[in-house]
Amino acid sequence: MAADAGVIRFQRTSKRYHTPARGEVWALRDMDLVCEAGGLTCVVGPSGCGKTTLLRLAAGLEPTTDGRVAIDGRTVTAPPPGIGLVSQEGSLLPWRRVIDNVALGLEIQKVGRTERRTRAREAIRRVHLPPAVERSLPHELSGGMRQRVALARALCPGPRILLMDEPFAAVDEPTRHRLQDELVRLWQADGQTILFVTHNVEEAVYLADRLIVMTFSRTVADLPVPLARPRDRLDRVFVDTLLAVRRTFAEHVNGLSCDTTS
Amino acid sequence: MTVKRFLVRLALGAVPPIAILIVWHVASVGSVVVPSIPAVVEVLAHPFRAPPTLDATSLASGALVSILRVLAGFALAAATAVPIGLLVGRSRTAMDVLQPTMAAAMVISPIAWIPVAIIVFGLSSPATALFGDEAWRYGLLDRVRFAIVAVIWLGAFFPIALNAAAGARGVREAHIESARVLGAGRRQVLAKIILPGAAPAIVTGLRVGGGIAWRVIIAAEIFPGTRGGLGYMIATAHAQASYEYAFASIIVIGAIGLALDGLLHLAAVRVSRWQPKER
Ligand SMILES: Nc1ncnc2c1ncn2[C@@H]1O[C@H](COP(=O)(O)OP(=O)(O)O)[C@@H](O)[C@H]1O
Ligand SMILES: [Mg+2]
Repeated sequence: MAADAGVIRFQRTSKRYHTPARGEVWALRDMDLVCEAGGLTCVVGPSGCGKTTLLRLAAGLEPTTDGRVAIDGRTVTAPPPGIGLVSQEGSLLPWRRVIDNVALGLEIQKVGRTERRTRAREAIRRVHLPPAVERSLPHELSGGMRQRVALARALCPGPRILLMDEPFAAVDEPTRHRLQDELVRLWQADGQTILFVTHNVEEAVYLADRLIVMTFSRTVADLPVPLARPRDRLDRVFVDTLLAVRRTFAEHVNGLSCDTTS
Repeated sequence: MTVKRFLVRLALGAVPPIAILIVWHVASVGSVVVPSIPAVVEVLAHPFRAPPTLDATSLASGALVSILRVLAGFALAAATAVPIGLLVGRSRTAMDVLQPTMAAAMVISPIAWIPVAIIVFGLSSPATALFGDEAWRYGLLDRVRFAIVAVIWLGAFFPIALNAAAGARGVREAHIESARVLGAGRRQVLAKIILPGAAPAIVTGLRVGGGIAWRVIIAAEIFPGTRGGLGYMIATAHAQASYEYAFASIIVIGAIGLALDGLLHLAAVRVSRWQPKER
């Protein structure tokens, strides 16, 4: 167990949904993936290929149809302790001010009010939000700021594992680049295990130290990304990696998106 | 500019009441049924004076009795309807079992239950429950008869429960999941996500329920078999042709109703402040 601390392990994990319109849909099929402790694994794949499903199974929000997911060596049947989840948009509680959103995890753990405030302020500072926004409501912030709040909320209880579902997909490119840099900086400081899914190939190559390429509910490639950080998006090797991933997609998807073929 | 606009709005809003006063005045001249405006003002100006010719208490104590009855029934309705509504909103089974009955009960006028309530509860009140035969000594407590409280409770229950159910059903799954991932169990999800998420709908239900309760109490008090309250005052005033008391009661009913709705509106604004304007 101690040897498995911080490890996310998918073992022949499958997930099937029943839909009225399309009948049975395999969102994930015989997935084998081990995210090592302290690694930053990116899963990249087109929309509908099963990325969100992968994270929801790891977060214990849904049961597997077959196979299993284990976190810290324990099979996941409910949301495991010590994880943080950041999703695309709209998971902040709209009635809570920023600081109370960020402190939600500590509140659930029944941490006292004073300590909650201190630690929430620290998390807000770490994601580079100005202290004044702590009194704001989510709808008063820009999309980029809201995602920073969501990140602060996930970080605040000090999770060993971060699950991230296209957290920066809805923000503009310069903001996205800044958020990516800040995520890498936080990860380098804290050393969590991060499982980051995205449809954006460039984002995946920029962030990952290991890259999983997914199509149609399956893994089709598993590449290490041994580039030095901070990374240069115009660097030769960076661009080559990007093109290699794109080529893999071209081979497996033939220009069709998962949504239309699954 | 804004002051001017305010004055204009005030003037415009005053047109119908002034028109009503004029019509009232014209109608009252030489009439034995429509009381004169000064006669009604005279009654309103002495709210603590018991009507000399009427088998009724003062306007103020009538209002107090009506308010106490509504508060008792409304508090009971809120305390029972909110939990049941949340349950119906979150549990498929509870919804399948209760929703049809609640939707049907909602459209039955609570007045229809008065005879039933009187049969079930008779003349019992908190005073009879506490003091038995000595109940008559505790006039105010004895006026809050269980039969009337039950009718108010029935009238306010369904709108509150149905709104709470709709509010709980509308809570976003993403919000619930974000709390679950952070370690929240069922109770914490209820207290930290579902209750605050459903709060605006719950307050809407309270506002509708409060309005119904206030309408129902007046009707229930006019119904034979009850004593005390503004509705009773209207009924006796009509029976004994003291129409100025009936008119004064109507005005007090309107004023209290407005105040009640204003309070619940303030509560609604408070709990809904976080909701961004739809664009
Ligand atoms: N709750 C659900 N019910 C039915 N089908 C679903 C559900 N969630 C996902 N799917 C289907 O599973 C497949 C994978 O979805 P998802 O994991 O959301 O993909 P991604 O996040 O990569 O876009 C899609 O075909 C999607 O339509
Ligand atoms: Mg997705």
